[in-house]
Amino acid sequence: MQDRYHAELMMDEPDFRKRFQSIRRRALVLLTDVIALSYLWTLASYCWNRFVLGTGSYITLPWWAMIIIAIEIAAVWENFGVSLGMHLLGVRLSSRSEESNPANHALRYLLWHIAPLSLISFFFSSKEEPWHDRVTHLYAVSAAEVEEKRVSWYRTSWKNALALIGVLTVLTAVGVTDMDLYALFTRASRTGRIWTRLLNPNFSLLGSGFRLLIVTIYMAFMATIFAIVVAVPLSFFAARNLAQGIIGRAIYTVVRVAISITRSIDAIIWAIIFLVWVRVGAFPGVLALFVHSIADLTKLYSERLESIDPGPVEAIRAAGGNKLQVILYGIIPQIINPYLSFTLYRWDINVRMATIIGIVGGGGIGQSLYQYMKVSDYSSAGMMMLLIVVTVWSIDYISARLRARLN
Amino acid sequence: MDEQLVIEHLSKVYERGEVLALNDVSFTVKKGEFLVVIGLSGSGKSTLLRCINRLIEPTAGKVFFEGVDVTAASSRELLRIRRKMGMIFQQFNLVKRSSVLTNVLAGRLGYVNPWLSVIHKFPREDIELAFKNLDRVAIRDQAYKRADELSGGQQQRVGIARALMQEPDLLMADEPVSALDPATSHSVMKYLEQMNQEDGVTVITSLHFLSLARRYGTRILALKDGEIVFEGLPSEIDEARFKEIYGDEAEHVEVS
Ligand SMILES: Nc1ncnc2c1ncn2[C@@H]1O[C@H](COP(=O)(O)OP(=O)(O)OP(=O)(O)O)[C@@H](O)[C@H]1O
Ligand SMILES: [Mg+2]
Repeated sequence: MQDRYHAELMMDEPDFRKRFQSIRRRALVLLTDVIALSYLWTLASYCWNRFVLGTGSYITLPWWAMIIIAIEIAAVWENFGVSLGMHLLGVRLSSRSEESNPANHALRYLLWHIAPLSLISFFFSSKEEPWHDRVTHLYAVSAAEVEEKRVSWYRTSWKNALALIGVLTVLTAVGVTDMDLYALFTRASRTGRIWTRLLNPNFSLLGSGFRLLIVTIYMAFMATIFAIVVAVPLSFFAARNLAQGIIGRAIYTVVRVAISITRSIDAIIWAIIFLVWVRVGAFPGVLALFVHSIADLTKLYSERLESIDPGPVEAIRAAGGNKLQVILYGIIPQIINPYLSFTLYRWDINVRMATIIGIVGGGGIGQSLYQYMKVSDYSSAGMMMLLIVVTVWSIDYISARLRARLN
Repeated sequence: MDEQLVIEHLSKVYERGEVLALNDVSFTVKKGEFLVVIGLSGSGKSTLLRCINRLIEPTAGKVFFEGVDVTAASSRELLRIRRKMGMIFQQFNLVKRSSVLTNVLAGRLGYVNPWLSVIHKFPREDIELAFKNLDRVAIRDQAYKRADELSGGQQQRVGIARALMQEPDLLMADEPVSALDPATSHSVMKYLEQMNQEDGVTVITSLHFLSLARRYGTRILALKDGEIVFEGLPSEIDEARFKEIYGDEAEHVEVS
């Protein structure tokens, strides 16, 4: 008897984890809808201001008013139809009584406003659902539990909302980027002079251009070679499957974070940093490419390491091989070709980047291209561009051929 | 005959998923036995074999191999112990891009000077041994091919040759023929039988099919949900025992 009493008590104990998930889901639905509606509102007001009133401002209401309105619309949306948030998170309102009654929906909409109060009782009561659900017999359930009936128009309101968001996004984009088709189609003749000069390159610069080209190619080469030396060992620390123990995990996290930060800073930015650091010339360009290549190669390499076949590793361990032998005989043979392939690919990118980096003063052919363009010496610039195009094309071709052979 | 392998109260809990894969398993294996481990998928066969050479770290229990406590061995001692335990895998576990010869020589890594192995230098005797073992499994002519150019049956023979390089006292095979067709299965099993009978190597192998277990095993161990549910001679497995091991719905599937 005692035991049974106890068992019943246990059964009544609320399952907090389930509750928390339910609350979180409701909150996420609301958040999604409010964000979508605020976004819609902002775009709509921008488009109105821009295309009807001719001003460029975004919002005419104070932001807090917009949020309140968005919340209010979201509440209506969620209580009377299937909102965007409900659709994305797979939530539906389901009436567990006989039939759904518009008055119930209205009642739930009103009670919904004091729903946060029910959070307090929610954690202590034995019922699964919050009381505004229970009062109106309209329960927020998982979409999988209800069979969708014939779809009437308001049921797909989330589709309408998405379409509206799409249209307004395009309109806004047209507005903010100052798209001017008139200028695009009527003023082309002004560039005629540039095109004719560019297409008549100054061939007397062939020799000096070639020397600059060599600088650029070697910049890429140096950066790639030194990046390999750092990235290959680093990749072993950046592979999740090889990171073992607390220290391994810690190193893994640090390396990963460092890599993604370094990678997200563009090579141009690195070039500017190194220009300040070691003065103008090819060397800061090399350093910029070097740093960026390390991050990029480490990421590519370590992802390859993460997808190795663990079988050979297991076999070498079983045969009594030590850690070094496991790497040499179980891992390296699997990664050597992909590593070479990634490196070639990166060298290819580095040649292209090296010309761009020249523009900010990183040396090589890009730098003089930029200088000729600046003084409107377009036929000299044309010569540099010709050399760059031929080089980039051939290196692209060579690297693609070599990589095809490696696979 | 002395007891070569003693397993005492071995248990394994996988933290991820909180699976009790082995539950207090104890048994002994005598020198020269051909022990077959059977059981449904997920019964813990692979876990058991890998706990013996500590490819998987057991949660509790002890493993003694030729009187040495494997579970208490330092990592250096463990490498020595593993050399004497050959292992063969369901998926062959060859380095696909490397040559057959390189794969076979990898079985010798526990013996060679680690520093010489860095430059892929193996003693002449080891290379001769590799060819001898390739000869034994009748694929000497494939030595310089890439491992993934071979058929499944041939790849498993490379796996056997690699294990032979260890000159093992104990050979463990984890479903060595599950990826092979019936005829090829028998040819591979015959090599294991040969090693067992001619070289006196103790064999522990897990197998899916009871018919294969009956044909090759001198003793059978059946696992179910990580526990031993049967231990005895192949002939002792009758209909009732079979149902107990494989469940009521199971039918006999013969591999001839
Ligand atoms: N790395 C792992 N992490 C978590 N659980 C695991 C892991 N490996 C195996 N298990 C679980 O342990 C149990 C035993 O697995 P094991 O691989 O030993 O079975 P098995 O008898 O070899 O099966 P099969 O015939 O499918 O190979 C299974 O329930 C499995 O899901
Ligand atoms: Mg298995």
